[in-house]
Amino acid sequence: MFEQLKELILNYVEAEDDEIVPDARFSDDLGFNSYDFMCMLGDAEDEFGVEIDEAEAGKCKTVEELLEYLEEQK
Amino acid sequence: MEKIVGGIKRDCYPITEAELLHLYTMSFSPTQEIVNLGTGRYLQMPINNSVLREALNRAVSRCESMRLRLWKEPETGQIWQYVMPYENQHFEYYDFSGLSEEKAHKILDGWTSQPFDTFGGPLSRIVLVSMPNGYNGYYMNVHHATMDAAAIITFNRDVMDIYCSLMYDLPYPKPMTSYIESVKKDMEYMAGCKKKDADEKYWAEQFARPEPIYTDFTGPGRLQTQRRESNDPNLRAGLLLSRDAAGSTVTYDLDVESTKKLVDFCAERGYPVSVLLLHGLRTVLSKFNNAETDVCIKDFVARRSTVLAKKCGGVRMHCMTLRTIVEPENTVLESLDIIDKAQNELFKHSEYGPMTFYKTQRETYGYAPRGGYESIGFTYQPATLKSIAPYLKGIPYKNFWYSSGKQPQAFYLTAMHRPNDGGLTFHFGYQSDVATPQEIEFLYYYLGRVLFRSIENPGATVQEIMDMV
Repeated sequence: MFEQLKELILNYVEAEDDEIVPDARFSDDLGFNSYDFMCMLGDAEDEFGVEIDEAEAGKCKTVEELLEYLEEQK
Repeated sequence: MEKIVGGIKRDCYPITEAELLHLYTMSFSPTQEIVNLGTGRYLQMPINNSVLREALNRAVSRCESMRLRLWKEPETGQIWQYVMPYENQHFEYYDFSGLSEEKAHKILDGWTSQPFDTFGGPLSRIVLVSMPNGYNGYYMNVHHATMDAAAIITFNRDVMDIYCSLMYDLPYPKPMTSYIESVKKDMEYMAGCKKKDADEKYWAEQFARPEPIYTDFTGPGRLQTQRRESNDPNLRAGLLLSRDAAGSTVTYDLDVESTKKLVDFCAERGYPVSVLLLHGLRTVLSKFNNAETDVCIKDFVARRSTVLAKKCGGVRMHCMTLRTIVEPENTVLESLDIIDKAQNELFKHSEYGPMTFYKTQRETYGYAPRGGYESIGFTYQPATLKSIAPYLKGIPYKNFWYSSGKQPQAFYLTAMHRPNDGGLTFHFGYQSDVATPQEIEFLYYYLGRVLFRSIENPGATVQEIMDMV
């Protein structure tokens, strides 16, 4: 699931594969703004077949936190 | 789809809703220059014009939307787009260095008011210019159906990155992405997908809510007049109509220190700056309209989230109604939470086309064509100097947005950070039949007061903030 999420993230940032690590912060390390993040959540719903609550998912600051949130929704 | 255009085979693509929005604007304007976007980018340093020409040519060759053409199929009237193959151009040079700044900009305003042949010719024009006070660079006029503000900023960055690479032997910038690929993605969405289903479901839920109400930036007078004129005392949608779309802009600069206070507040509390600005705007609209709790603002979304979308140029801007209901007893922080949530939802469902959005809204609530619930459009543009080639850091430069004398929107606010010092600039565009500079100054005065009272008193209620200002 991490690899799947990494691939999704790479659609949104011009980063190298090894920069997408579990403790990478979306805003500070990967350069996401709130719009980018919300759009990615829309794609994640499709990709993982889950329903995402924007407010809850919005609290995820790192890749790992989002991964945990998505796993809980499965 | 392959089509024969002017006797030549072209790969043609349907136009997107974002592009259609601008052609729709053109359709009710008596003049075509309403869709012109004139900009100038000037650095206070000598520029090697032959290298700049080379950089511009390379940037155009990498940017499909700078070579985009529109074509109306004679048999069906359907509008198509295609990309012209790249051809090297010799960009003309004009020396305005001996003129006053006002005179030089007036000439460029004049060029911006020259309409393009929308369905028959090139849709961009670039010239090299020297401006007064040692500024050098280029002026560019584009048809808004081919490039939006985000695309222009990206194109300009690419030009300067290429220029610096050629001049100073710096690394060559990474390639741009394909606009046609982004158009294809929009077409796939329109043809139907899970995301489109989810967006339709979300907006259907929004349209099932009770009818919103129009809140004018001058107060309730305009809606009251329209209620009288239409003999409909329950009318809730307003109409901002201009005879000829003639208009202008008013700009206010917020100083760096005050901007920092707003930005720091947002960073500490975890809100995007756009949310705080929207809180300011909607609170002013509420105050001006007898403390109306239900306020709509036309929210413009650049739709530049993926790498493909960020670097493809073209037109991707969508807009839709951001509706928020904030009670007088809600605190500033609660107001910010409500707006943040509403904007996040709008962002998530912003692929839904603006033409479809407003058509559905009008059919749902049954208001007059071109009516609606928003008296003001809003865009926040966070672009900063960080985007320019590092070599040019510290060199004064200016970006200018020129006026064609026509305004596509009745009244809108673009808030952007100045490239040179990061301070906020509030750029109001207005149609002269709809707003006056005095009304805008009044609005801006209250906007500033609401913003600063709010960050100084985040626990205060919205009613208390309205009373304070």
